[in-house]
Amino acid sequence: MNFFNVQDLHIKLAEFNLQGVSLSLDQGDYLTIIGPTGAGKTIFLESIVGFWHPDRGRIMLNGKDITDEPPEKRHIGIVYQDYALLPHMTVHDNIAYGLKKFRPENMDQEILEIAESLNIDHLLHRKPSTLSGGEQQRVALARVLIVKPKLILMDEPFSALDQQTRRHARILMKKAVRERSATVIHITHDLDDAWALADKLAVFNKGKLIQFGPIDTVFSRPKSKFVAEFVGAEFFDGTVTSCDDHSSRVDLGGICLTSQDRAGEGEKVGVAVRYENISVSNRRPPDDARLNVLEGVVEHIFPEGPSSIIDLKINGIKINALISNKRMNTLNIQQGESLYAMIEKEHVNIVS
Amino acid sequence: MRRIGSFYLCCIGLSLLITVLLVFSIASLFLVPDLGDVWENLWSEEMLFSLKLSMITGVISTGLVMLMALPIGYALSRFTFPLKGFVKTILDLPVAFPELVLGLCLLLLFGNTFLGDLLKKIGLNFVFTKQGIVVAQFFTALPYASRIMKSTFDYINPRLEFVSRSLGYSQMETFLNVSLPLAKNGILASTVISFARCIGTFGTVLILAGGTYMKTEVLPMTLYLNISYGNMGMALTSGILLTVVSFVAIYFFERTEACT
Repeated sequence: MNFFNVQDLHIKLAEFNLQGVSLSLDQGDYLTIIGPTGAGKTIFLESIVGFWHPDRGRIMLNGKDITDEPPEKRHIGIVYQDYALLPHMTVHDNIAYGLKKFRPENMDQEILEIAESLNIDHLLHRKPSTLSGGEQQRVALARVLIVKPKLILMDEPFSALDQQTRRHARILMKKAVRERSATVIHITHDLDDAWALADKLAVFNKGKLIQFGPIDTVFSRPKSKFVAEFVGAEFFDGTVTSCDDHSSRVDLGGICLTSQDRAGEGEKVGVAVRYENISVSNRRPPDDARLNVLEGVVEHIFPEGPSSIIDLKINGIKINALISNKRMNTLNIQQGESLYAMIEKEHVNIVS
Repeated sequence: MRRIGSFYLCCIGLSLLITVLLVFSIASLFLVPDLGDVWENLWSEEMLFSLKLSMITGVISTGLVMLMALPIGYALSRFTFPLKGFVKTILDLPVAFPELVLGLCLLLLFGNTFLGDLLKKIGLNFVFTKQGIVVAQFFTALPYASRIMKSTFDYINPRLEFVSRSLGYSQMETFLNVSLPLAKNGILASTVISFARCIGTFGTVLILAGGTYMKTEVLPMTLYLNISYGNMGMALTSGILLTVVSFVAIYFFERTEACT
């Protein structure tokens, strides 16, 4: 029996439906949820904490069915995007608010300890409106962590922070959560949050859970084009043309890729390749049995911070490769130029 | 530099024109009567009775209005329930209803009906009594108060309440610990407006409680009765008192809004 279980959850709100969501987590798991705006991520979180009652399905926590429990009986903490700090209370009183209900004795000592660990001990007398985004985020985290909830839910807690503060916040969050072996469900739009924090990843779209699993699996083996695009991977539909004990060759309708994965000859499959697993060169590389080598033309170059996405057209098929700017400069890659794209067979993932 | 157009001038001009007209009409209330007469009328037995009755009934009605407006405003803001739209429309109706018609409806409801007889048996007689003044004021002011309270709760982020509940507080505890303190300014504004409405209510009070000299005589009734007798001094004095109450109420309201 898993620590946390959601079974076939259905919720119908005015113009929105959450449809048949099922997933389970072990104690100490860190799940990140990604998906486009309006995918149902926040409704899912709020139904777990008890603000929406499902029309169908059950929610189990630590062996107990909590579907019909009111929020105050569930012992699940939530941190919102806007932090939802109580504006009429000081930072101290905000942190103490939940603690008063659970463990009113030695409150001040506990508050000081958690405030020191999150570096907000100098802010205890201040009102939330006088704090920066990062400080508010740490206060909201302290308020939840101090009551030691069975499950912590976070709805884009870093979205209002600048890049620098966000990096610090991630490190602090990881440390705080790991120290307490807390089980966390965290909604984010930033894949870096997922990489840095999560063990598991869930992708939502239009009220449905599209894919759920260990983060490496979802990132490297997206089940559909939608998930692939969301997690930064290429996805192609293809047909297996030949296979043996060690590899399969898949025709993508213009190009063929060889994968280490096994599949049946003639089988219709999906093929996923992560952008960063495609390397490029302006010279044909020496023959290497481990490599797929494709020749194409650079259609567009999209700078993305320290890297760039190169849009390559190979026999009528578009492939995106994520190349560091340093490598871009070394190769002096220009639009319209011919390039060789190399993909190791082990990075060509066949998804049935 | 900003270009001043004819539309801009037209709007500003109209605002200033109406403001000047209102200032003159209110000023005339203070300028026309002899201040010595006003001072003398202020201490007359009738005026003191009327002022005292207005204050007592106004405070009781406002208290009752706020007691009802808080849960009504909260329910309309936060909950979905069957017939919510209908309830909202009916509760708002007295805002647009002529006061005299509202008074007539209340007279019919609390007169010689089953409900009226039942209430009389437990000592509540609302027809042509001081208790009737409170009821009339209550129904006139309630829609204003519940509207303000609904808007106040609409502005409070519901996530604050969600978080409070997730931290172990029941719905009622959350209302008392989070919603109510955050609605402080709205409650103050609503109380002030309700009190001003209660003190100034005329038509509803006249029909339900009657306009009996030195019995159900509140300030608007003093103005009405004395105008009828041709006693302009007393009428103007009660008018001045009502204006002062309105000014104080609006002043508090504006201050509260500015603070919010």
